[in-house]
Amino acid sequence: MAVIVETSELLQTVAASVVAGVGVTVVFSVAIWGAARFVDLSRSERPAAAAAAAAVGIAGLAATLGAVAVGLVVMVG
Amino acid sequence: MSADVIMVIVVATALAFDFTNGFHDTANVVATSISTRAAKPSTAIAIAALLNFAGAFISISVAATVANDVVDAGVITPTVVFAGLIGAIAWNLITWWFALPSSSSHALIGGVVGSAVIASGFDAVLADGVIGKVLIPAIVAPLLAFAVAGIAIGLVYRIVGRQRPGTVTRGFRYGQLVSGGLLALAHGTNDAQKTMGVITLALIANGSLGADADPPFWVIVSAATAIALGTYSGGWRIIRTTGTRIIKMDAAQGFSAQGAGAAVILSSTHFGFPLSTTHVINGGVMGAGAGKRLSAVRWGVAGNIMVAWLLTLPAAAAIGGATYAVTEIFGSGAVGPVIVSVIALAASAMLFNRRSQQGAPLPAS
Repeated sequence: MAVIVETSELLQTVAASVVAGVGVTVVFSVAIWGAARFVDLSRSERPAAAAAAAAVGIAGLAATLGAVAVGLVVMVG
Repeated sequence: MSADVIMVIVVATALAFDFTNGFHDTANVVATSISTRAAKPSTAIAIAALLNFAGAFISISVAATVANDVVDAGVITPTVVFAGLIGAIAWNLITWWFALPSSSSHALIGGVVGSAVIASGFDAVLADGVIGKVLIPAIVAPLLAFAVAGIAIGLVYRIVGRQRPGTVTRGFRYGQLVSGGLLALAHGTNDAQKTMGVITLALIANGSLGADADPPFWVIVSAATAIALGTYSGGWRIIRTTGTRIIKMDAAQGFSAQGAGAAVILSSTHFGFPLSTTHVINGGVMGAGAGKRLSAVRWGVAGNIMVAWLLTLPAAAAIGGATYAVTEIFGSGAVGPVIVSVIALAASAMLFNRRSQQGAPLPAS
């Protein structure tokens, strides 16, 4: 079976899929969390906390866009 | 003259298969975006068609591997390819009729294996290739996507579960536009190449190209156009199954399913372990449902889909083998393929006509 199926390729595929699939979804969720908290905290007139939430959201969005860029590079490569 | 007529028929049949691949597998790309209202149906399909077209130009590295890995290249003739394509088209139309998302790639491989077996016996089949490149990936793909989407949606609900639903839903709908675009691009990259590979193999078998030739530019353009037109025509029946019948999906689940699907397909492409986009995205949809709660998945529908997956290889092989046997009745010339093509066209027209009389299964929204 090890000859028929390249075990290392299979394991690498599984590991990369879990890291990329779960990772992208989580960082995008963090971006949405940041946006949602920013809206709530701004309405509550807590500008410092709102700015912190916005920063977290922007970081999450940047990580998501970075992951998409990596995906495009993998596809083209 | 006879060989040229067969080649024209093979190329036309391959492009017809590519068209069915486009409308059959459109569901993989757009179903979740449509069902969560991330995009209007017409917009989602137009974007998917465009990205499928673009994806076909990105890489041609796997274009000639379709039949090489599963049957002995020495037994491939244009008529074997033709019969295999008819097997694949027929199975695509049967599963479309029953609104079941099944793998067009497996149908193509099954069809070619069946026709090669009838042409040259079971020795023509490369068992290691069938197991390693088709059967094992068929098991791995849905399970992996199921697990990734299931874990992802569990974490998503923990992170955003207490936030305002409106903001969260809007955010994930925007995210789905990107994840759906990635899926469409990956689909075009993978699936259009298979048709390019089949046409190139037939051209090589006919002596029109050298043994190690890359797909000619006209083959790349015509395959990209056929899959894009097929995608644009939309496979509404299968879109409804994937988008609404397996689970009732919210935007976060749609994003998790598409994100898991894109990650699994891109990872498998990168590490050279090819997986079916159909198996991946449907496994992802089931995982996104089960991650919320197991009873959220309509397991009866999921079971029907899995039965279709199990039947794809043997059924397409049986039709491909039977088609080859019929063409051989008329000798090795062009008469057999011409007669089979006319019958196949008439049967397809009847099928589409009956379905159109029954109305569209998906209400426009």
